[in-house]
Amino acid sequence: MSATAHADRGTASAALRSFEEQWQSRTLDTLAPVRERAMDRFLALGLPTSRDESWRYTNTRNLNGVRFAAAKAHARGDVEPFASVSLLDAAQRAATISVVNGHPWLRGIDSVINEIEVASLKEVARLDPKMLMDLIGAPSSADNQRWALLNTALFVDGLYLKVTKNVPTPLVILHVGVGTDTDTIAYPRVIIEVAPGAGATIIEHHVAQGEHAVLVNSNTQVTLGRGGHLEHYRVFATGRESTHFDHLAVRQERDSVFKQFTIALGGGLVRADMDVNLNQPGATLQSNSLLVGYEGRHVDCVNVVKHAAPDTTSRQTSRAIASDNSRVIFNSKVHVQPGAARAESHQSCRGLLLSDAAEIDSRPQLEIHADEVKCMHGATTGRLEPDMLFYLLSRGLDRNTAQSLLVFAFLADVLTGMSVSSARNSIENALINQMPDSQLLRNFR
Amino acid sequence: MGDVDLLAINSLLAIENLSARVAGKDILKGVNLTVNAGEVHAIMGPNGSGKSTLAQVLAGREDYEVTGGSVAFEGRDLFALRAEERARAGLFLGFQYPVEIPGVNNVYLLKAALNAKRKAAGEPEVDAYEFLTLIRQKMKFMQMSESFLTRGVNEGFSGGEKKRNEILQMLVLEPKLAILDETDSGLDIDALKIVSKGVNSLRDARRAVVLVTHYQRLLDYVVPDFVHVLSGGRIVKSGDKSLAQELERRGYDWVESQDA
Repeated sequence: MSATAHADRGTASAALRSFEEQWQSRTLDTLAPVRERAMDRFLALGLPTSRDESWRYTNTRNLNGVRFAAAKAHARGDVEPFASVSLLDAAQRAATISVVNGHPWLRGIDSVINEIEVASLKEVARLDPKMLMDLIGAPSSADNQRWALLNTALFVDGLYLKVTKNVPTPLVILHVGVGTDTDTIAYPRVIIEVAPGAGATIIEHHVAQGEHAVLVNSNTQVTLGRGGHLEHYRVFATGRESTHFDHLAVRQERDSVFKQFTIALGGGLVRADMDVNLNQPGATLQSNSLLVGYEGRHVDCVNVVKHAAPDTTSRQTSRAIASDNSRVIFNSKVHVQPGAARAESHQSCRGLLLSDAAEIDSRPQLEIHADEVKCMHGATTGRLEPDMLFYLLSRGLDRNTAQSLLVFAFLADVLTGMSVSSARNSIENALINQMPDSQLLRNFR
Repeated sequence: MGDVDLLAINSLLAIENLSARVAGKDILKGVNLTVNAGEVHAIMGPNGSGKSTLAQVLAGREDYEVTGGSVAFEGRDLFALRAEERARAGLFLGFQYPVEIPGVNNVYLLKAALNAKRKAAGEPEVDAYEFLTLIRQKMKFMQMSESFLTRGVNEGFSGGEKKRNEILQMLVLEPKLAILDETDSGLDIDALKIVSKGVNSLRDARRAVVLVTHYQRLLDYVVPDFVHVLSGGRIVKSGDKSLAQELERRGYDWVESQDA
């Protein structure tokens, strides 16, 4: 079946048909072979259902009946400025690239921003299609992930970043979903290459603007060369009505270090996948997830880590909080493949339930096919420690303050690992704003 | 008649026939005790006699169920106040097992506690510089290391450091009534002296201290005005400091056999 074949008109959902229509009306580019393969596979698999193992906690049935149109590109000046939602404060003077509905706002071609080579994917597709196809078409577990496949088939533009030296200041990618119409979908795509020995900090911050929520299907690929390092943040802070599917795929070469923070502070439904391949000896992953559910929000985070070489290390820390009737899911799967001797893996998943109607599911999983490995995992979910609460109350602290303080303390393991102090401050502020007695809590820092 | 009035004015804590239950088990079975301003009381007793339960009930622990009796704190019904309100009103519990709270800074907690008390008294928040000066001065007095300032509440503290931290908190908050639950347990002689020095520095005519302890040792350094023996959930004997010495010599069996 070729990509020109289509989903069965009889049974295909309105959503699936609308994606096919977007496919039919696409502008052809040099990436055709890779895109066709992805679309074929997507149509063959269809949209995920709760029968899929990795989607059993997240039901997206309500999307099936929606006819989605591609979200519009917006020119600068077309929309309200985004300064107010930017993550880093002005003091940090971090360079920011805005990506609106997947379209990067860049001036000129092949520019250097914050010492990082930056180009639009449109330009890269025109100038060096082979290189781009190799990057995008590299086989990965994303081959089975429908939203990631759909992104590959339909992304119109995106960002290509190449880090070739040690860059001290962070770069912010501000992804803005601007919803001027109902039922639109955006396909932001970011490709980050870190050259051997180079390093940077890149923050992807997803926010929303406009009257209607855009369904965001974003995809980021990271390649780390030998000895390269990247501190990467993805922050989801969109509105209550929004739905977000994000896929992060990482390939790590020898002795590279990938430090990742996934922060879910908002979004009606956030599904964040991460696939990391520790392909060469000495590669290290540090994954940190801070997942906050409240007011009916649904956060589903799925990490898949493959140890494919000896002496590889992965450390995953997740802290989930659920209040009201929200639901937070953290799944992490570590595969230690044959030959990955002396691999070390550590998974620490902790959940904090703040209401009876909330739910947290933590599932660290291990699959070991090598000898001499050191793998640990633990998952605990509970309520606030009554002993701790009483201790704070016995010192005269207000009940709300005491609770907020303990919630905050629960997150400390993740927060203190952040090297970018202004990002940490902003994230802490955003967290504090969601807690009772926020002003009081602010004094604690 | 004048005597009666004076007693009423001076009485900081009046416990009458107090009964309490923990996890379905009756622990306190009619405790009577009056503590006046300016006094130091020691409550002694064997393990399981209800000493810690009494301390926790007075501080307002919610999973301890009061099944009878009354407690007045400065003439107010103590049980009408929640734990945090009791603290702000000037009641302080020094914990037998101070809780470790990683991620909450020691100093922030102290500052919040002090400000909560000041706010309840209609006073403005403490000035940041004044506060730090105060803390440093009290820390020096308690011979605590500077690293305390940056650590989480009791996080990784030794047993002795935790107890010293309790006393530090007490000195900063200047409570009217301090109930110190086995503050002496697990302390070496040097730490015991420091902690005692802290407690003694708070002694004055407007305050009172209730020492809950298993051993007489602490009472060599903080000399009590009254000693009570709690046994089987009731105070079975009261006396002056010599009672503690007698207990040390003859053991709790002596009192219990007398009681029976």
